[in-house]
Amino acid sequence: MAIDFSVVREAIPPLIDGLRITALVNVVGIPIGIAAGIAAAYAAQSRTLLRPVALAYVELVRNIPYLILVYLSFFGLPKLGVQASAMQVAIICTAFYTGGYFCEILRAALRSVPRGQTHAAFSLGMTFWQAQRLVIAPQLFRFVTPPTTSLVIMMFKDSSIFSVMSLPEMTYQSNLLTANTFAYVEVLGTTALIYWICSVLLAGVGRRVESVIGRRARHA
Amino acid sequence: MFDWIDKGGVLAPLLDGVVSGTALTLAASACAFAIGLALGIVLLLARISSIAPLRALVVLWVSLLRGTPALIHMLIAYYMVPALLDISISPLTAGIAALACNTSAYIVEILRGALGTMSHGQRAAGYAMGMRPWQVWRYVLLPQMIYRSIPPLTSEFTILLKASSLMSIIAVPELATVARNAGLQTDLPLQVFTITAAVYFVILFLISAASRVCEGRVARMLPHGH
Repeated sequence: MAIDFSVVREAIPPLIDGLRITALVNVVGIPIGIAAGIAAAYAAQSRTLLRPVALAYVELVRNIPYLILVYLSFFGLPKLGVQASAMQVAIICTAFYTGGYFCEILRAALRSVPRGQTHAAFSLGMTFWQAQRLVIAPQLFRFVTPPTTSLVIMMFKDSSIFSVMSLPEMTYQSNLLTANTFAYVEVLGTTALIYWICSVLLAGVGRRVESVIGRRARHA
Repeated sequence: MFDWIDKGGVLAPLLDGVVSGTALTLAASACAFAIGLALGIVLLLARISSIAPLRALVVLWVSLLRGTPALIHMLIAYYMVPALLDISISPLTAGIAALACNTSAYIVEILRGALGTMSHGQRAAGYAMGMRPWQVWRYVLLPQMIYRSIPPLTSEFTILLKASSLMSIIAVPELATVARNAGLQTDLPLQVFTITAAVYFVILFLISAASRVCEGRVARMLPHGH
């Protein structure tokens, strides 16, 4: 079977349009999720009722398939009287999932900073938040960066699931193209290639950030 | 059987299919995992072989599969591969093949990581005792590699089981497909998808819990400071 490169050339513009939507969902959703993850990690550290809530949140995210969460939000929210567009649902799901996973990442990082440092900061008269900001947080970046890179790549890939709610992201565009042209080899091949290039680039950015942080840590 | 949950019978489309759907989810995941593990071991042998092109091919395989969405793997297995080879395959075969290939890329890295934690001294010691290369593999390296891999392999299995819901995209009648159809038929999406999420949650939570128990046992069985 020969590959028809004119189909590939025609497929690229709509796929790139889709990639823009894919990027938008992640660029908005992931930072919100990271903020939620930080809040959840500190809630899980506290000795209040927030602790079990945060732990339950993490377990929910880890043990429910993303597709089911997307179906539940997309079809369920209108029944609760919340009118949300596919884009809004996509951002909410991205943030919800990122938050659970980032909470786990941050909790592991917090455990790797020795307890004595917090005590030392307190004995210098720092408040809890001063200790977190000036002593603990600067050390966390080193532990957090590699798994966060993996998380970002995972969310980027999983955003393909939003095609089930007809959000015109890259996989949805690819489905439209194959439905119209039946050129499965050309279209799916091109789509996979674009996803792969983006993942490799994101991994490269992650390594770059790691090396910059590593250099700073040595200078400090 | 589920009358106690659903008195008026409105959730029948979900409850009638939930057992068969769950069974298919579990069976297909187990099958894909077994194939993926076998493939992963073959890929590992190629990855650590002395033939450079073979090693490069495995590196490319791992990078391609880890850099593309599992959903795309489903579409490639069901639509693109049959078009390329001019064959036709069932959705279930395509789904299992896609999941197996996907998981193999992660499994080969898990096994390689486990192998990497063993010191060169062990291999040298095996040779010094007069073992042949395959004996060193069979009696020294392989058993430890498998024990060390059990916890990450279990967690990989839970990821695979979650990804198996994507088989609904190519209409394999597993749990997510049953749920989606029931959601549309009953127009009770909140109830349908909450119950489905609960079924997945229980299965995955039990596997993770079993894995944590297993992890403790494995840690005790392995020599310290290898």
